[in-house]
Amino acid sequence: MRAYLICLLLTALPAWAQAAIVELEMRPGISASAEYLAGQRNKPAVLLLHGFLQTREFATVATLAHGLHDAGYSVLSPTLSLGVPLRKQSLACEAVHRHSLDDDVAEISRWVGWLKSRGHRSIVLVGHSFGSLQLLAYLGAHPDKAVRALIGASLIEAQVDSLSRPALVTELESQASNNQRTLVTHTLSYCRKYTSPPGDLLTYVRWDQSRTLAALKASPVSVQLIMGDKDDMLGRDWIKALKHVQIPMVIVTGANHFMDGEHEFDLMEHTLNYLERIQKAAPR
Amino acid sequence: MKWLTSVSIKQIAFAFVVGLLFMVVLIGGFAIYQTRGVTRDLERHRLDAARSELDVAVKRLLGRIERQALNLAGWDETRQQLVLPEYYNYWRNQRVYESGMLTRLDEQVALYTVSGAPLASSPATHGMPAVLPKQEIPRHGYGWLVNEAGTIMLYHLFPIYGDDQRQSLLGHGLIRLDFMPALLHQESLSIVDKVSLGLDLRPGEILPASKLFSHLTFNAQPDPDQLMFQKILSRTLLALFVLLVTTALLGLAAYSRLLVRPLRQLSQDIDAMQQGRFNTNPSRSQSMRIIELENIRRSLYDYQLQLRELHGSLENQNREFHSQARQDALTGCHNRRAYEEDWERFRHDMKTVPQGVAFLLFDCDRFKTINDTYGHAKGDRVLTIISDALVMALRANDRLYRLGGDEFATFLSSTTPAQAKQIAQRCQSLIDAAGFGELGIREPVSLSIGIAFCPPDQIDHIDDLPKQADIAMYTAKQPGRNRIAIYGEDTERASQTLVASRETSALFQALATPGMIEMHYQPIHGLPGRQVDYYEALARIRYNGELIMPGAFLPVVSSRRLETEFDLAVLHQVDTDLSSGQIPSGHGISINLSAQSISHPETVSRLLELSRHNARHPLMLEITETSLITQMAEVRTYLDLLRTINYRIAMDDFGTGYSPLRYLVDLPVDVVKLDISLVNKLAQDDRASQVVADFARMMSDAGYVLVAEGVETEAVLQKVESLGIAHVQGYLLGRPVPLSALSASSQDRQLEALARAV
Repeated sequence: MRAYLICLLLTALPAWAQAAIVELEMRPGISASAEYLAGQRNKPAVLLLHGFLQTREFATVATLAHGLHDAGYSVLSPTLSLGVPLRKQSLACEAVHRHSLDDDVAEISRWVGWLKSRGHRSIVLVGHSFGSLQLLAYLGAHPDKAVRALIGASLIEAQVDSLSRPALVTELESQASNNQRTLVTHTLSYCRKYTSPPGDLLTYVRWDQSRTLAALKASPVSVQLIMGDKDDMLGRDWIKALKHVQIPMVIVTGANHFMDGEHEFDLMEHTLNYLERIQKAAPR
Repeated sequence: MKWLTSVSIKQIAFAFVVGLLFMVVLIGGFAIYQTRGVTRDLERHRLDAARSELDVAVKRLLGRIERQALNLAGWDETRQQLVLPEYYNYWRNQRVYESGMLTRLDEQVALYTVSGAPLASSPATHGMPAVLPKQEIPRHGYGWLVNEAGTIMLYHLFPIYGDDQRQSLLGHGLIRLDFMPALLHQESLSIVDKVSLGLDLRPGEILPASKLFSHLTFNAQPDPDQLMFQKILSRTLLALFVLLVTTALLGLAAYSRLLVRPLRQLSQDIDAMQQGRFNTNPSRSQSMRIIELENIRRSLYDYQLQLRELHGSLENQNREFHSQARQDALTGCHNRRAYEEDWERFRHDMKTVPQGVAFLLFDCDRFKTINDTYGHAKGDRVLTIISDALVMALRANDRLYRLGGDEFATFLSSTTPAQAKQIAQRCQSLIDAAGFGELGIREPVSLSIGIAFCPPDQIDHIDDLPKQADIAMYTAKQPGRNRIAIYGEDTERASQTLVASRETSALFQALATPGMIEMHYQPIHGLPGRQVDYYEALARIRYNGELIMPGAFLPVVSSRRLETEFDLAVLHQVDTDLSSGQIPSGHGISINLSAQSISHPETVSRLLELSRHNARHPLMLEITETSLITQMAEVRTYLDLLRTINYRIAMDDFGTGYSPLRYLVDLPVDVVKLDISLVNKLAQDDRASQVVADFARMMSDAGYVLVAEGVETEAVLQKVESLGIAHVQGYLLGRPVPLSALSASSQDRQLEALARAV
């Protein structure tokens, strides 16, 4: 299988030339871009979202995007603006984070809409890491009917200090309710000094494991998780909790959070398998 | 230029050292000159390198700023601030630094809107311009420098686009930094002297960054390698100089010690040798370290030793020569030269330290007779014995001088007349006791001594002592004296002394004044007729009206060696008398001549002149003192000559020591005058008389004409006649008479003969 994929990548190089950069103005003065790889029209389109503060150029995502496109899928890989016009770089933890989860969900919605505007009536959301959470948040808000499924690789909640999350939420809520605009710095995900206005930060902090599990259970579309058993960025017992709530999940043995190296192919294989299943199951 | 031809070895060494040092200084100066040239080239190259380095540094700085500007322009967060500037201050004051967009806190960045206005939230405290200049900004930005109160600030303005195509201009960014610290902060500036770095920019003046380099002023840092090289070179030169100076000084010292000093010592030794100063112990001289010099020293000292030995030998010879020059060869006592030197010094010393001084003059009585009788060898021996006796008689420190012939002298210091006379008596005693008999001399040998004394208070008259002693000596020689006379005592008591002095004066005056010598004529009678055949011319000196007899002045003649002068004066006077015609014609004239005069050419010449009288007056010459004839052949020649012009030669005083038989044989004698001592023997009736008679007959038989002198009695006259002696002379028949009396006497005798004939 791996040999097949390698050959596919090599023979599909000319197809990359069909890539197009799509820009959408998400907010006044703030545009975001996405790479659109046109695929076969009879296959669902894939909206592939990068991880926390990353871009579509992140290796795991970029490799997966091109792999899916090579497999005939149209792939739209946006880079969330995170409040930065045409953001091209991963955003530093210490930067001023003028974005909220709501902004992220809105941008996802815009990209789903863009796909639909391109004629894609079957859309599968594929996210990596925090991107899976952002897609899950999108599904929990106002999902488009064209969205058929969610594939979450290395799904992770909005990690904060687990012992202080309630207090932090309370503090942020208090600050946000007072319209306080002073930047605050807290731990979020892998950032130790995540700097953001309190209200924006609050939208992320609320997504703890429980809310994530609940969102999974309440997902209006089918969900497939691909997790690595060597993912040391995950919270303790996170995979166990996922299994406990019986979320469809593939455990890639030996893979870390980024599923890099040989595990890229595992990720690709499991993603393609799931996409084929969805395609077969989809009504004609 | 004399110094060029005469320099000392030390001067040469000094000149060599000075020359060496001069060469060292010259070479050192040349090296320094070359080094300075190289240094200037290196400095020029280093300045070029500094310029290049600074150029690179400036470009690097500007490039870094441009890169920073590009990074800032392409930075998502920058664009975010232009869209959402709410947290612009946080971004400007914190994010740009912690993100590494700006690396230095003295670098600031500000964002401006498209219209050039600062972002609304930007405070005006950062020194950023409130409004951007109205000009087109290149895509890569635009930089300029401003002198802000002495601080050079570098600004770099750059555009910020919202898309990759640079179509959507979001605003502008402006980087501001302190130019000099930023430039100096670069570690690449290792050649440029950072302290000297400056920018020629007036306050408020704006300088485009593109023209920055032309306004930079700078110097290059000294090259440490070059400094090290110069330091090493300087130290090397200094060390070389010190080394050479030290070496030169040490060399000079060694040169002085090894060469100059030894050579100087050798030179001093040679100079000392030239001046006659010899090293008393050359072997003790310090040996020289230079082999050649040591050889020279040894050779010199060997030579010096030889020279010293030679010098010693010469000194001994000189002393010997000096001694011999001052010593009488015959007697061993001091000679006349020593006398003159010593007397001069003695006089000077005595005048310096006055004391009683005596001058003693010795003269051997009848020494000529002794010498003539017994020969020169005996005479010399007599003088030797006299000298030895006198030396023995004198005091230890007194010196005896032989003034000439038989005349000796000495001068005594610290003495009195009595002491001097005592010494003189001792001299006479020793002479009397001397063994002259061993020499076969039977006649007594006596000494006449004249003493002159000068008391200390009249020391200025010391110069008169020789003359006074001479006078005293002649006084002592006067008959009847005790042969010792003290000038002033004996000469005043004895008128003879005055006479002696007077006779001396008379003699010299007579010799100088023709006519003072007055000739008296004593007849010589022929036998048996007793007629006058000859008159013997006898000299007298008429002095102050008085007549001085020969016994008074002849010793003076003899002692003063005036025989020739005296004889010439006599011949002159005889010639005058003969020319006067007062001498009866037919009567011969017998003239006494000393042997010395015979050998004198002037005497012979005068005799030749006198011979013109031979026709009227047969002339006969009586030779006396034949003992003084030393040139027998020459005398004989002259006598032969005189005989050819009819002079008859008579030997006077035959029978005494003055006329030995040998001369009778050797000389052409015609007449022999028997001395009175022999003639008187004839009156005795003994063997002596017989001997004389036999001798007279033998002489007559041999052809000699005999004249008996001193016939004073009839008995002797008869004896003489009986012996057949041809002529007789004496007081019995006629005394010497003056010329004036001679003519009268001649007339009387003519009358008497006429009467007898009648």
